[in-house]
Amino acid sequence: MTAPELLIDIRQVTKSYFSGSVETQVLHGIDLAVPRGDFLAVMGQSGSGKSTLMNIFGCLDQATGGSYFLNGVDTLTLSRNQLATIRNRTIGFVFQSFNLIKRMSVAENVALPLIYAGVSRSKAHAKALLELDRVGLATMAKRTPNQLSGGQQQRVAIARALVGDPPLILADEPTGNLDTQTSEEIMRSFQQLNQERGITILLVTHEPDIAAYSKRLMRLKDGRVLYDGPSAEGLRQMMQSHENLTV
Amino acid sequence: MNLLQIVVEAFRSMLANRLRTLLTMLGIIIGITSVVLLLAVGDSMKRFIAKELEQLGTNMLFISPGGDRAQQQRMRTGAQPAMTIADAAALNELPSLAGAAPVLQGGFNLAVGNENASKTVHGVTPAMFKIRGWKIDKGSAFSDADVRGAARMVVIGRKIADQFFYKQDPLGKYIRIENVSFQVVGVLYGEGKQVDGGDLSEYVIVPFTAAGSNLIKTAFPGNVHYVVAQGKSGGNLQDAILDISETLRDRHHIKIDQPDDFRIDNLASFAETAQKISAGLAALLGLIGAISLIVGGIGIMNIMLVSVTERTREIGIRMAIGAKPRDVLLQFLTEAVVICLVGGIFGILLATLAASGITATGKFDVFITLQAVVVACGFSSLVGVFFGFYPARRASKLLPVDCLRYE
Repeated sequence: MTAPELLIDIRQVTKSYFSGSVETQVLHGIDLAVPRGDFLAVMGQSGSGKSTLMNIFGCLDQATGGSYFLNGVDTLTLSRNQLATIRNRTIGFVFQSFNLIKRMSVAENVALPLIYAGVSRSKAHAKALLELDRVGLATMAKRTPNQLSGGQQQRVAIARALVGDPPLILADEPTGNLDTQTSEEIMRSFQQLNQERGITILLVTHEPDIAAYSKRLMRLKDGRVLYDGPSAEGLRQMMQSHENLTV
Repeated sequence: MNLLQIVVEAFRSMLANRLRTLLTMLGIIIGITSVVLLLAVGDSMKRFIAKELEQLGTNMLFISPGGDRAQQQRMRTGAQPAMTIADAAALNELPSLAGAAPVLQGGFNLAVGNENASKTVHGVTPAMFKIRGWKIDKGSAFSDADVRGAARMVVIGRKIADQFFYKQDPLGKYIRIENVSFQVVGVLYGEGKQVDGGDLSEYVIVPFTAAGSNLIKTAFPGNVHYVVAQGKSGGNLQDAILDISETLRDRHHIKIDQPDDFRIDNLASFAETAQKISAGLAALLGLIGAISLIVGGIGIMNIMLVSVTERTREIGIRMAIGAKPRDVLLQFLTEAVVICLVGGIFGILLATLAASGITATGKFDVFITLQAVVVACGFSSLVGVFFGFYPARRASKLLPVDCLRYE
């Protein structure tokens, strides 16, 4: 099977939460097509549905309605086991709070996706060291995450996201816990990944400075798409509107 | 994710929370220790009882005169004839018996030089050595000719030999029994409680006739205190009892509506009862051990549930990067099983230590059998699987999105 041109293809995706008989609809029919190699930033106020959409992108949560094709696969029909495999092979996650496992060494954290993929311990470890080297942390391999700075931890998380060579990286507020300088370093490395390795990047943020690193911007409001287009234009529009104080 | 990897992970998370792991394991250690130890004690008890019974002799019947106390009293005073040496001879001829021999028995003062002591003296025929399974360590038993001649010979137990002839060869020496000299011709082999309550090593055995003419006066000549009979090996002991009963009733002219004037005690039925009791006790002990193991298992379940809650975020991370529900289930299940197995090994070691402690007291030999070890290991991993499954399943059913939100 040749890889489809669109990595992410979602149509009329809705998401509702039920508490008893009360339905709260968070997403009201989102359409989005992300071709390979894109660098998309998703922005929105809290409550806009961007986290929910991100969870659906990451196959961590299922949409209530609509369709979601990831890499040509209809994810809404998959079992929990199949979703786990998709997350393992297709998506690399980078979280705001790094989400490294504290009692494992840095190298073991990075190798873990490969271990779950069934790769042998020695091969997984070798690949983990390679990825750590790429983010400049090969010397830290034997340390535990607690011994690392926030920026270093996030780079470890990026190495972990990349270790299985996925076509897609999902980054959920990756710079939320970092200072400005470290944030810039992290964003530049995302840009590099996108340009040099052709990895598609989906970034959720509420900071315009961070969103500025992306090629394309999607703004959400109350579960609907407010803007979908080039980042520069989107950010300029945003600055002009009154929203710039809150978004 | 392969099994080795999962086991390594399990050990790692056990080590991450040492105190808790140790406390959890303690429940299993105590459980396994008690199961293994109590099983071993029950087993040793069974073996001990079997050994004791073997010493008492197998297939043995004790036939004593008198159905009730009053009758026994009349017999002793001579108001009623008792069992005689002729009765014993008649029983000896029965085809359902391997043999039967008479006994005269009484307590007498023994003396050698200045040393003296009161002991039970048995007057028997040589046939009794075979029936009771008495073996000679030194010298020999007396013969039928010695019995006919009422020879003043004596076979003594080991302790008696040590007491009276310390570090000397007792053979050929003389013991005075109630001031009558008896020559020592043999020393008995072995020791241990006998059916009459005496110890084999303290037995004093003389020819039946020598006892009758020198020591024990009976109301009628030829009376015996009791007869010991042995059933044919492989034969039915109940048939033998019926034969004895029939023969004795016939010889004693007892009418059909009259009760027996003798009593037959069956050692085999006593042995059977004792064995049943010991088997029951062993099962009871095992059950008590099993209960403590179950309590330990509940401890495991409790801690695993806490652990799953505590590690919700970790479960979320693992699921996000590709852990299948099955991987999560296996991870927690393996942790429970590893805790149980390691606890089980410590438990076996502890039980072995305790067993050698009990053995060292010298009263009772307790061995941990390989079978007990295998059963204990199997049982403890079963406990791990059983009590670890629910928490592990709960972990595997968590949704990644919920786990990652968990603080």
